[in-house]
Amino acid sequence: MKQKADVLQGTLALMVLKTLDVLGPQHGYGIARRIEQISGDLLAVNQGTLYPVLLKLEQEGAIASEWGASENNRRARFYRLTREGRKQLQAETKDWEQTAAIIGRFFDAKAEDLP
Amino acid sequence: MRALRRFLHRVVNAVTTQAQEERLREEIEGHLALQTEENLRAGLSPVEARRQAMLKFGGVEAMKEDYRAERGLVFIDNLLGDLRNAGRTISRMPGLAAVIVVSLAIGIGVNTTILSWIQMILLQPLPAVSGASNFLLVEPRTETGGYPGASWLEYRDLQTRVPALRDIVASQMVAFNVGEPGHTERTHGQLVSGNYFSALGLKPAAGRFIRPEEAERAGTEPVVVISYDYWQTRFRGAPEAVGQKLRVNERDLIVIGVAPREFQGTMLPLKFELWAPATMAPALLGGTRDLDDRSSRAFSLIGILKAGATREKAQVEFSTAMAQLARDYPEASAGIGGAILPFWESPRGPQRMLLSGLAVLQGVMLLLLLAVCGNTANLMLARGSTRQREMAVRVALGAGRWRIVSLVLSENMLLALLGASLGAAIAVWGTTALRVAPMIGAFPIRFQTRVDGLTLAFAMLLGAACGLIFSAAPAVHLARLDPQDGLRSSSNTPPRSRARRVLMGVEVGLAMVVLIAAALFLQSFRSARQTDPLFRPEGVLLAAYDLSGRNPDEASEREFAARLLERLRALPDVEAAAIATNVPVDLHGMPRRSFTVQGRVRTEAGQDRAIANTVTPGYFQVMGIALLEGNDFAEMRDKAAPAQAIVNEEFVRRYLNGAEAIGRSIKTRAGSFAIVGVARNSVYDAFGEPAQPAVYFSYREIPWDQGEIHLRTRSGNETALTSEARGVLRDLDPMLALYDVRTFYQHIERNLFLRRIPARMFAVLGPLLLGLAAIGIYAVVSYAVARRTREIGVRLAFGATSGRVVLQIIRENLGVIAWGTAIGWVLALVISVRATPKRAVNLPIFLGVPAILLGVATLACWIPARRASRIDPMAALRHE
Repeated sequence: MKQKADVLQGTLALMVLKTLDVLGPQHGYGIARRIEQISGDLLAVNQGTLYPVLLKLEQEGAIASEWGASENNRRARFYRLTREGRKQLQAETKDWEQTAAIIGRFFDAKAEDLP
Repeated sequence: MRALRRFLHRVVNAVTTQAQEERLREEIEGHLALQTEENLRAGLSPVEARRQAMLKFGGVEAMKEDYRAERGLVFIDNLLGDLRNAGRTISRMPGLAAVIVVSLAIGIGVNTTILSWIQMILLQPLPAVSGASNFLLVEPRTETGGYPGASWLEYRDLQTRVPALRDIVASQMVAFNVGEPGHTERTHGQLVSGNYFSALGLKPAAGRFIRPEEAERAGTEPVVVISYDYWQTRFRGAPEAVGQKLRVNERDLIVIGVAPREFQGTMLPLKFELWAPATMAPALLGGTRDLDDRSSRAFSLIGILKAGATREKAQVEFSTAMAQLARDYPEASAGIGGAILPFWESPRGPQRMLLSGLAVLQGVMLLLLLAVCGNTANLMLARGSTRQREMAVRVALGAGRWRIVSLVLSENMLLALLGASLGAAIAVWGTTALRVAPMIGAFPIRFQTRVDGLTLAFAMLLGAACGLIFSAAPAVHLARLDPQDGLRSSSNTPPRSRARRVLMGVEVGLAMVVLIAAALFLQSFRSARQTDPLFRPEGVLLAAYDLSGRNPDEASEREFAARLLERLRALPDVEAAAIATNVPVDLHGMPRRSFTVQGRVRTEAGQDRAIANTVTPGYFQVMGIALLEGNDFAEMRDKAAPAQAIVNEEFVRRYLNGAEAIGRSIKTRAGSFAIVGVARNSVYDAFGEPAQPAVYFSYREIPWDQGEIHLRTRSGNETALTSEARGVLRDLDPMLALYDVRTFYQHIERNLFLRRIPARMFAVLGPLLLGLAAIGIYAVVSYAVARRTREIGVRLAFGATSGRVVLQIIRENLGVIAWGTAIGWVLALVISVRATPKRAVNLPIFLGVPAILLGVATLACWIPARRASRIDPMAALRHE
């Protein structure tokens, strides 16, 4: 559980960016639902942890937010990806893919593969 | 880049806390509502739907904490929190805070005021002139170290011979009679060189300034520049003033311009109203030969350094030029070198004396501030120990040491900066007070001090330093606190803190040093004044007359003086009357004259010089100066007697080796004089001066068109003679007015004026410091007593008399104070013995000051002690 959360913390920001990239402007709940749908139970118990991440991203300028109306006509804060956020997403996606590839190869490597 | 942006956001957020919290709350609310709806759609009951939504969201408070940490800077948040807390804490103790703030304000205010004075002398020697700190005085200097001023011709030579100086300006101070005869007003002005205003870089407030060509040839350009104040008061600031005629010394001068508002001339702190071209001197000053006589050294010179040139270079060039002049004109310039001096070393003004006095003053006042800090630290410590519980709770709840220290620090810094702000206000008031203080005398004087950015920064710096100093003890004390101890001790009675007692002792000790220093200063200024002048100023009236407007010849000057004396002596209350050209103890000193005396062979180069005064017969009688040998001068109308001179004892000792003086002849530029008498030494320039050689000449041989009338009364009421003396002069010449009428004591007072400023400062600040010490002791004792209400209540309940309680409280506190006093006393004694050349101890001060301090301290202990002893024991016991 603990490990799962740690991974979550490190990757949540990337997930948020990707979500906004795919779905366009979303409120916090929408982002949480999307992440939940894709990642299964990763965010099941702690939707709240999303908000500090959103704030951090906003302060970095990767996303921007403004008030809008949600589907039930409530006032909700909508987040959208900025140009900078998009660049950041691309860079981090590349990084992540690289890392994942390396880690993957590392796990796949067997003793007899080594020269 | 990203980190920076995040940081900036955080800074902004730190300030907009409220709105941010609101936004988060709304977002959470929205989130939960959406989730609840979702759950409702899934078929849950409304209550359960809400509950599940909240469960899913997770811990709201923990999240908020994360959110806040993400949002703002913990540091700034904490600081703002500390400041808010400090504000609350301070508002809970208004009395204590007031004492601290006010005492700090006085300490800081005084220091800032003094700094602004020092700054005025060092950095802004010429008001309204920018960059004046780079201006230098160009002063010819005699072998004996005197500064005789420069002659006009010398000035013209120097202009081209000191290339390191971009410009040299010359000015001569003169007293003008402005207005028609009979309605003249004495107004002080300067005769200036043509480049005066342009070299100083001034812009006229109206009209124009004197052009260089207007100060080329003698007497051709009757123009005058007036001061801003003069323009406002005499012309009501009207633009038409420019072009109008001003009757000055019976000449019409045309007003061509108005000087800038702050400008007051170049002989600080004197304030001048008129500036005329130097070449008008012969026309305005009755045919003076100032412009073509090299031995008439009437001008003061100011040089402005060329960019890149140094004072040393200017000094070398100036010395070379003066040496050349001494070779070219040995009669007027032999033995005269030169010195380039900064303004604060001015040989004539009070700058040097003021500066050294002010430096000491500043030192003493910083000590005073330190005493105040000690006092404040003590108060804070006393308070701090009652807050042990609060701090213990904070520590127990997880506050780190640094959080506690920063909490205490922010409280104290807030107090200190409040004090500094108030102190700056006091400084503003203090400097303005000095600016507007009426300084009327023979010469108008104005000090233009102000509090500017530098002095304000100084005040704030002092405040911050004070805050740090008096935070140290309480902060360390509280940070070391063991929370267990703090929580366990349920009693509100603080343990007797040794630190507090030590601090009170230190504070009193410092106050002791400062007070003794102040008393010694006052005493030294006083004694300078009480020194026997060796003449008798009591019962003497002084008044001046001026015939220069009448353009008299020698015979009529002599005759006028003789008739004036006859008429004055005929007045019933006049015991003796005389006229002299100079009055001793004048702000400007007495003139010196070079001479050769028969029977003296000078071995070294140069000339013998002595103070010279030209007096009528009867002078020694009026002044109460005894003639040791020989006789007074021959009567004014005596045509048979040869030219006479009277010398003083020091003259005989120094120049004649004590040999018989009577009958020898003295030669000066004015002729040859036979010595007919020897007078006692007296004071000529300043009290406490070493004996100076002096020669008196007789009005009979050297009559002047101006004179100072000296009248000695029979009754001792010299002021009563004023109107009679006026009447006498009016009878002789209805167009003449008696001016500058004053008693001899007023004359002395006036000329001690500048010594009096620091003396007055000490006279005011001494009692002030005593008051501060009293407030400090009072506050500490009353605080401690208030904390011990229950103990005192118990004592009283058990039958202690209030007298005993009072006595005990006083004894406890006075013990510490006595220790501090003793240490301070010893310190002051050591300093005093080391500093004074004679190693003399001023017993009355060293006994009196501690007595007063201890008396005041006792009183300061007694008042709170008595109040404590008056409480109702029952109330005191219920107190907790």
